[in-house]
This record gives sequence, structure tokens and C-alpha cells, in this order.
Amino acid sequence: MTTETRPNASAVNNAGYDMPPEMRQNVAITTLDKIWNMGRRYSVWPMMFGLACCAIEMICTAASRYDLARFGMEVMRPSPRQSDLMIVSGTVTKKMIPQIVRLYNQMPEPKYVLSMGACASGGGPFKEGYNVVSGVDQYIPVDVYVPGCPPTPQALLHGLMKLQEKIDGESITKVRWYQKGEIPAIPVPILGPDIIDPRDYALIREAKPAAAQAPAAPAAAPAAPVAAAPAAPAGTAS
Amino acid sequence: MYGIGVLKGLWVTLVHFFESFADDIRWGGKRYYTAEGIQHRRSSDTKGIFTVQYPEEKLPVPEEFRFIPFLLYDVDENGNAHDRCTSCGICAKVCPPQCIWIVRTEDPTTKRPVPEPVEFYIDVDICMNCGYCAEYCPFDAIKMDHDYELASFDRHAEHIYNKEKLSKPTSYYAGIRPTNYTREEKVRADEEAKKAAGAAARAATPAAAAAAPPAE
Repeated sequence: MTTETRPNASAVNNAGYDMPPEMRQNVAITTLDKIWNMGRRYSVWPMMFGLACCAIEMICTAASRYDLARFGMEVMRPSPRQSDLMIVSGTVTKKMIPQIVRLYNQMPEPKYVLSMGACASGGGPFKEGYNVVSGVDQYIPVDVYVPGCPPTPQALLHGLMKLQEKIDGESITKVRWYQKGEIPAIPVPILGPDIIDPRDYALIREAKPAAAQAPAAPAAAPAAPVAAAPAAPAGTAS
Repeated sequence: MYGIGVLKGLWVTLVHFFESFADDIRWGGKRYYTAEGIQHRRSSDTKGIFTVQYPEEKLPVPEEFRFIPFLLYDVDENGNAHDRCTSCGICAKVCPPQCIWIVRTEDPTTKRPVPEPVEFYIDVDICMNCGYCAEYCPFDAIKMDHDYELASFDRHAEHIYNKEKLSKPTSYYAGIRPTNYTREEKVRADEEAKKAAGAAARAATPAAAAAAPPAE
């Protein structure tokens, strides 16, 4: 009875088939997709990791006042091997993104990513910062974006319900993890003086000769004083 | 003797278990999905289950709760909407993460700026809900919303709000923030009255000024 009032309750039963009303309570006709998705949507296990202040709201959402367990998400798994959902909760710094991509690669399919808060979705107030990735979706595919700074627990729950909606719309013949062939891992970004995405190697190689040619002429001029400088102390000493 | 602590802990759990039923029975069916029930479960003297059954019932937000900003428009007696925003751009200047983008326009014939924005964008994935825009707006045109259910699947298509999506009537604002609304409307009405008085005085002074110089 309550399932009918729930906005997201998928009609698992009677998937487009006519049925006499007296049979409705006894027989269920469904499709494989629906039963598959029902199992999946009520057992989304988030990974237990938080990045910044949004993580506090995530912890609050998991606690008993808001209670993720009502959605079948009660177990926050501390290992990526056991989790289905990555809640990117907070500011993604350039130092953290290699680890996030690695954790994402380590998660088994099916895997989902929920970007929580302004920082994770678009960089937020740090969008042009020297140390913050402006949007985690530049590196890993994001399924649901939850705006807010930070989103309240109820906003996060709404995002999780959106994710369940998305799972409902999946078909096992179409989702990418049931296709033939291997899903290539996302190349882990390298933290140097700045973050380097291995997918940009071609671009970097193209840009390099142009950069090398341009400063060649000014570099020759300061070379002379540098060479002369060590000579001066040597002369005074002798 | 070993095990006393375990038994004490189990006893506490058992008491809590029965207390939850006791409170449910005391409230009848009104403990859940009613405003009083939510208020009771939020309070410190509640016993038993206090989980907010979120999609079905929501915690009431305080009046000063602030989420993504929205634009106000007045509806006059003919049903025409007038933006309060004059596209002055103060909100865009004070915005710490700079998530506001305003497109101004000018009258094609007179070449004077039109005091309404053509477009007004807020990137809600940048907005940090600080409320400076609402704080600084001299026309009470931008205010912070209470609606937090904004999650979506695509941020580039859906999370850059345009003017159409941001605009909400003043009646909506009066609904979510009644005390703020009455206070601000009073100030606005006072200023209007002062302005009208000033205009009347200025209309009266030329006659006086015209009379005064010959006397001096």
C-alpha cells in the first residue's frame, strides 16, 4: 500500500501485461531487467571515504536520524572491492585525484559515482584554485550531481534516490559492464608540479616542440651572467 | 563475575526497544507523517525511533535556511511580471566563487541601458550558498531559496540555471520567509513614501526658489 504512494517505487510486478484483478496479489509477471534492477537499487553499498566538509553531512546521512539503511545502503564498505557507489564528498584536490581514480578503478562493476557538493561537481569556490580539480567528472564518469555547499542530508538522500531512478532505467543488454570485451581502466593521473592526465599525452607532446622553440632566444641572453657569476668568487679567493 | 556488563547493555537495548513501541502507541498513528510528530521526534525528550522518513516526510527547514539563490519578480495588477533585478551586477561582484553571470541590454532606439537583465545565469555547482548576493542586493531582487532537491544526472545541461529557472514570484518568497518578507516590504514602502515626499517637496521648492532670489 505504501509502495504506491512512494514516488520511486518501481512497479516490479505486472510489467505491461494485463492480469485479472483477483490474480494481482498472487502472481507476479516481471521482466528480467526489472528484477535485476530492483536487486541492484536496494543494495547500493557506498564506499566509506570522505574528502572534506561534505563528508560530515554524508556521515550524518548514514546515521540514524536520516538512516541510509532505509534505502538498502546501510553498509559503508571500507574497501573499494566491496562497494558499488563512490560518494565523492568534498573538495577533490590535485593530490587526491590519483587516489580517487585508483579507487574507482578498483571498484568492481557495476559501479556508480555520486558527486556531492559544489567542490566535487564543479570545483566550487576553488574552481580556479592552483590545487583543486575543478570537477571530479574530468577524470571519472559521474552519474548524479548533488549541488549544495554542503548539501543537507536530505539533499543527499534525494541524490541517492535519483541514482536509484537511474538504476531503474538500466537494461542488462545495454549497460557497459555486460558488453563484450574488457572495460579499460581509467589512467591514473600523475602528480607532478601540476596534475598530468595520461590521456593528454598526445596534446602535451604536440605542445612541447612549440614551447621549446619559443623561449629559446630569450634563454640565451641570461646564460652569460650565470656563467660569469661563479667566476667572480673564484677570482677573489685566489 | 563476568558478563554483567553485557547483560546491562542488552537490558538498555531491550528498554529502548520497548520504549519505541510505547511512544508509538502513546501517539497513536500521529507520530509519523504529521508536523507535530516530526516536531516531537526532533525534540530532546523523544524516545524510540527518531528517523525522518525522508521522501514521505521532510524536516521543516528554518526560515534563514539558505540554498541556491533565486530571482524575485513582482506581479502587477494586470498580471505582468516585472523583474526586481536591475542588472546592476553587485551580486556578481560580491559573489566569492563568481558563479553569477548577467547579460545586460540596452534599448535599441535610445541606447540607454534597460534595467532588467536579458539573461541571468547561476552555476549551482559553483555556488557556495553563502548568501552574499542576497545580503548585498539593494533591490531585494535575489534571495536564498529553501529548495534543496536539485540533484540531476548532467551538470552542464541542467546545473547552469538561467533566468527562467531562477525567477520566482514574490508570493513564493513571502511563503518561505514570512518575517523577512514583511520586514523588507515595510522598509521598501517607507523608502517609497520618502521618495514621494521628496519629489513633492522638490516640486514645491521651485516656486519658493523662484520667489526667493528677487527678495535677496
